[in-house]
Amino acid sequence: MVRNIVVLGGNSHPALVESVCNILALPACNRILTKFSSGESRCEIQDSVRGKDVYIIQTGFGGNGSKLNDHFMDLCIMISACKTGSARRVTAVLPLFPYSRQPDLPYKKTGAPLFKAPSDNGKKDYTFDSVPATPAPGVPRSAGFVNGTDITNRLTKTTSLPNGTNGINGTNGINGTGAMSPVKQTNGDAFFGANGQSIASPVSGAIGSYTTHDYENVSHVGAFQAKPGYKQWVAQAGTLVANLLTCAGADHVITMDLHDPQVQGFFDVPVDNLYGRPLLKRYIQTHIPNYKDAVIISPDAGGAKRATAIADGMGIEFALIHKVTSLCITDRQNASMMLVGNVADRVCILIDDLLDTGNTITRAAKLLKKEGATKIYALLTHGVFSGDAISRIKASAIDKLVVTNSVPQNEHKALLGPKLDILDISPIFAEAIRRVHHGESISVLFNYD
Amino acid sequence: MSAEMANEIKLISGRSHPQLSDKIAKRLGIEVARTISLNYSNQETSFTVGESVRDEDVFIVQSTATGDVNEGLMELLIMISACRTASARRITAVIPNFPYARQDKKDKSRAPISARLVANMLTTAGANHIVTVDLHASQIQGFFSVPVDNLYAEPSFLRYIRENFNAEDCVIVSPDAGGAKRATSIADHLNTAFALIHKERPRPNVVGRMVLVGNVEDKVAILVDDMADTCGTLVKAAAVLKENGAKSVLALVTHGILSGSAIETLNGSVLSALVVTNTVPLGDKVDRVSGCQCIQSSHVD
Repeated sequence: MVRNIVVLGGNSHPALVESVCNILALPACNRILTKFSSGESRCEIQDSVRGKDVYIIQTGFGGNGSKLNDHFMDLCIMISACKTGSARRVTAVLPLFPYSRQPDLPYKKTGAPLFKAPSDNGKKDYTFDSVPATPAPGVPRSAGFVNGTDITNRLTKTTSLPNGTNGINGTNGINGTGAMSPVKQTNGDAFFGANGQSIASPVSGAIGSYTTHDYENVSHVGAFQAKPGYKQWVAQAGTLVANLLTCAGADHVITMDLHDPQVQGFFDVPVDNLYGRPLLKRYIQTHIPNYKDAVIISPDAGGAKRATAIADGMGIEFALIHKVTSLCITDRQNASMMLVGNVADRVCILIDDLLDTGNTITRAAKLLKKEGATKIYALLTHGVFSGDAISRIKASAIDKLVVTNSVPQNEHKALLGPKLDILDISPIFAEAIRRVHHGESISVLFNYD
Repeated sequence: MSAEMANEIKLISGRSHPQLSDKIAKRLGIEVARTISLNYSNQETSFTVGESVRDEDVFIVQSTATGDVNEGLMELLIMISACRTASARRITAVIPNFPYARQDKKDKSRAPISARLVANMLTTAGANHIVTVDLHASQIQGFFSVPVDNLYAEPSFLRYIRENFNAEDCVIVSPDAGGAKRATSIADHLNTAFALIHKERPRPNVVGRMVLVGNVEDKVAILVDDMADTCGTLVKAAAVLKENGAKSVLALVTHGILSGSAIETLNGSVLSALVVTNTVPLGDKVDRVSGCQCIQSSHVD
């Protein structure tokens, strides 16, 4: 029993909250956390927090009908409510830190933005070789684009006409005639138009005009183009999220396996970045026979450090897959992937921090099988399984996938069955909360094996 | 041409209300900037900027779509922060319907003052200026450390009433004590009578007993309020007015949130018309409410 401590759970991961509370032997704080019918979050904290040490557990995961941004706003509102309720200290516990990993470029093969709900495209059959359906400018893919192709053509025509030459020599392109190109709509009564709230109505007329902001029309989204001469870029929300948490009133942040450890530096408050590594190590030792002869693989160069840390600690060999962007394409599917190291007739253990759409890891697995790996394990800290991840993994060469419950895994487990193993992180977080509360060192959590 | 175009207005539109952004852009004779917001498959919002905002005067238009308030708010924050990092000279957040405006006080223990949180978040993200319409409580302006322009829909309402009714026959009614100021201001401008309905609210989104103060007999009662959410208040107020002998009852509301079962409630009510502005995306709700009309309010800059 720990005194003067309040554990408050968000809606994103009730199971983790419960199990952390069980370990700490205290009840979770009573609260109402729902939505008003207008869509605004409604939060009422029913137990007193005055002078208490408050820990708010909310993971950065949206799914099962809940939304990531809702959870994040809920978290900020809860922090703020505890602060105004005179809590002594408020600690945000984010097992998976939201917005910690965002691709630099839009429309890349991996992590491409989806403009449809992910549930819409779960019916397709995936083969061993399948690649994700990536929305790209001018690449019509689905039936919804039937109307869109001619819009795309029209758009490229109108924008490229006045800028045919200017677009190339930078400065003119930015402030040049592009701003004046007559792409705008003339339909003054668009407000009353047939475009309702639903996304599913691009076919029903009303496409006499084009704006980049007609989000209701899927084909328009696919046709987005930057101004000629300007290289489009994607906003990185990492710093913003850090600032928002501090601005809401968080005094301390506990998270696990940040994709970029530099995110820690975005905060003005202490951040404890726990490691899932010990759990993964223990799994390797206990569940993989003859693990000393296996090879640890990092599926991309960015994760090499994480993977080598495990390989070094256990005295296992290490190999790396890196993405080549050279022009000599021989094998279409694996053109961009290259293995450094030897895996023939060995057991391979892929190590990474986050599984999102599962594209990287499944492609890596495919390459390893081709290079003669006998069995492939994939160990990841966070298993988000967004988009088509489940079906892609089902069809992939991965024999065993191991993730932690930093996000709710029940549904994923139900879908993937014995292929998926789940490691429990609640003891780590419970111990971290206990130690932080008592002012003990938590460095022991970073080291133990 | 290009010399005059430096430091011009950049109008950036969020996903929530593109129609309004288009109208504003048309009114100003400019184009909406080329940006796009999408959600990744893991539901994180991504915001792509397709044109330079360096040293520009950036206006970001983002209303709050009913049901997707948090989504819209995060998107707005990301857009502001992106423009800030891209060296915009000044960033003005145009938020026609300020989110969480009703959670503006600690009305019970440990209740969050979410409106202040939103204000802090906007400033933290990098907004230099806020433009909004008919704040639920104008004190919310005090939550900000940056200038806030609280525009009024009142002129649109006055014009609507003058064009459609004889001011002599009307009585302006405030459905609750909080909105009395807004309603009296309209009544003063029109030189009409004024009445007030007092209500008790036992739980959020639920309305209790109502008492009419003032005389509405044989008059056209015009209910004036800042937002119509579930419409429980409006409909009950309309019933009270009818009981007290009003000839007909209509409602003029700035923000037509119309959430939950609002449409059914309205259609089953004695309200002859509901007039809202387009601060909130209405979609097909206009068609679904009998007698629902929409005043344009794209005058915002």
